[in-house]
Amino acid sequence: MRLPPVIMDNGTGYTKLGFAGNSEPSFVFPTVIATRDSANTGASGTSAPSKTSHLSGNIASKRGIEDLDFYIGNEALSNSKTYGLHYPIRHGQIDNWDQMERFWEQSIFKYLRCEPEDHYFLLTEPPLNAPENREQTAEIMFESFNIQGLYIAVQAVLALAASWTSKKVADKVLTGTVIDSGDGVTHVIPVAEGYVIGSSIKHIPIAGRDITYYVQQLLRDRGETSIPPEDSLKVAESIKERYSYVCQDIVKEFKKSDQEADNFFQKYQGIHSPYEVDVGFERFLGPEIFFNPEIASSDFLTPLPNVVDNVIQSCPIDVRRGLYKNIVLSGGSTMFKGFDKRLHRDMKRAVDARVKRSEELSGGTMKAKEIDVKVISHKKQRYAVWYGGSLLGSTPVFNSYCHTKAEYEEHGPSICRHNRVFGSMG
Amino acid sequence: MILLDYHNVVIEETLTQPIVNVIPTALDMIVVDFDSVSYHISTSESTSVIKFSISMQCYKELVQWGAQDMLQREYGPYCVSNTEEGYDFTLEFNLQNLPEDKEQREGLVKKLALIKRNLLAQPFERAFEQQAKFEEEKQTNPVSDLMQIHYRDQEAIYIQAQLDRVTVIFSTLFKEETDRLFGKVFLQEFVDARRRPNLQNAPQVLYSSKEPPLEIRHLPELKNANKNEDIGYVTFGDVREKTISQIQLFRDYLHYHIKCSKAYMHSRMRARVQAFLKVLNRAKPELPNVEKKTITLVILYI
Repeated sequence: MRLPPVIMDNGTGYTKLGFAGNSEPSFVFPTVIATRDSANTGASGTSAPSKTSHLSGNIASKRGIEDLDFYIGNEALSNSKTYGLHYPIRHGQIDNWDQMERFWEQSIFKYLRCEPEDHYFLLTEPPLNAPENREQTAEIMFESFNIQGLYIAVQAVLALAASWTSKKVADKVLTGTVIDSGDGVTHVIPVAEGYVIGSSIKHIPIAGRDITYYVQQLLRDRGETSIPPEDSLKVAESIKERYSYVCQDIVKEFKKSDQEADNFFQKYQGIHSPYEVDVGFERFLGPEIFFNPEIASSDFLTPLPNVVDNVIQSCPIDVRRGLYKNIVLSGGSTMFKGFDKRLHRDMKRAVDARVKRSEELSGGTMKAKEIDVKVISHKKQRYAVWYGGSLLGSTPVFNSYCHTKAEYEEHGPSICRHNRVFGSMG
Repeated sequence: MILLDYHNVVIEETLTQPIVNVIPTALDMIVVDFDSVSYHISTSESTSVIKFSISMQCYKELVQWGAQDMLQREYGPYCVSNTEEGYDFTLEFNLQNLPEDKEQREGLVKKLALIKRNLLAQPFERAFEQQAKFEEEKQTNPVSDLMQIHYRDQEAIYIQAQLDRVTVIFSTLFKEETDRLFGKVFLQEFVDARRRPNLQNAPQVLYSSKEPPLEIRHLPELKNANKNEDIGYVTFGDVREKTISQIQLFRDYLHYHIKCSKAYMHSRMRARVQAFLKVLNRAKPELPNVEKKTITLVILYI
């Protein structure tokens, strides 16, 4: 019986771990490691293991076992008083290889409980990751863990693959625009035939955390004084997660909610102490900052639909229709109800206006074929990247796409600089 | 720390919602454990009936040593005869027929998470019982069967009850040269560590590489295995009941620690390379401070 491949998605904030074929990751925990030697690590990147030891009277006195004394994930957070916390991944890229190696060690043995020698592995990387990082990863995976095979997939491509689960997707193609919005930052990534168009990627400094801050500010401005200050952020976050949605028209929504006040206004119950918070317009105002950023920020003013439109316009002309046709959402901050509809409507408007204008400019002699804009939202959006990995990992051809241990030993880590695109082989 | 649990955390977490809290949830999940064990948790017909199947390489051998009795004893009411295809046996839980008491339900989930440990513990328990019997009857030269469990491809555990001890032999295979060297150092350390005064109570451990220990030398399959250089044998004596759980994880611990040591070596190597790079950078010849002149355009306004 073939054991399922291991899917590991190490993100800046959270790590998703599990086995291919499952619909949800088995573990989701923060990508954090708690170590004893907090003084040694830091900006320099590597930790010089200290030779002194305070443990005496046992075998450890000879050489010290500090390198084994660490926690990862939630356990690390709960031990943060006595240990130093480190975040080995910064901006999606692995920053400290020593810590990452140990992080993987424990994820595999302690959490997944699998012998890495028996499994194939699928890891993820951000778009525009340096090939050197892939080599380093391959070195650790093959040399330390003796894994059978390795595939390093680009997160955006996996998010595209995850959208195949949606009924709206007719043909399974790896061309599309991925909007990936997590807690820290939102990316718009165009992908053509499984290849990321690196020069057109755009980042937007508005994401989940900004919505939370905005909701918090709205509550404060309205004078919701019953919230204890230490809970303030938590309350804002759960209001965002539980009640927020994206409206189609902000003016109409204000009117509508005033008319149907009984239905619209919700009560939020306090977590620890008994208090009540009215949940009002922030229900739709929070996610609105994607579409009208000027209401919350003063330095970034381009609405998300415009950014997506610009990204697609900057791509090669022959892939643009494919990119408009398949706009895929991924990450927790795209989960708001109505997000896909609003994005679709705004983009459709912009695209149609442009087509109309170019027709006018041609003096009515040219007629353009209508551009099909489709925004795809599906149930697995939150862990879309992991789920896409799980889908690809469970296909029977997955192993043939991997770099095997034998290949690694024959050619060295440089083979992992390139990973074959799925669907490229018969 | 790097201690491994005896139970499977994923199983415990997955089943807590439907079984302990009795909330029907749609499930279809494959979970893997050490030694090529895989579980399939699914709800196919309705969300209130959970199927729990397990596949284990050495299941047939474990049945010989009484695994079925254990299953009947521990999980009896949930055993079903129609085993899922591709798995060794299946348990079925109807959410309507669970124990009333919440604590009992928690116990059930815990027991399920320990199912692999319980299965593998069978031959050990049997050996202990035999050993106790020998001691009671004061047999001078007892003969007991050597129990073999091929828990992985080409790797096996041998258990034999003797008059004053239970001998457990692990054969393990290292796929890579580096691992084998690390493994050798580790295992020799086991033998040496026991000589320390504070570890006198630890069970006796012998380690032999290439040459199988006397107890199992007569087995035909090992005649061929002898040629394989990568195989090492570890023999434990005098195993206590409570250590069964730990001894099962012996192989996993060994391999885990080897990997940890490699990670440690790698971090040392990285630190060293960085130190060398610093030295190299310092050794760069300093450029003599030559004044550089560029053409400058001077515009005079008169």
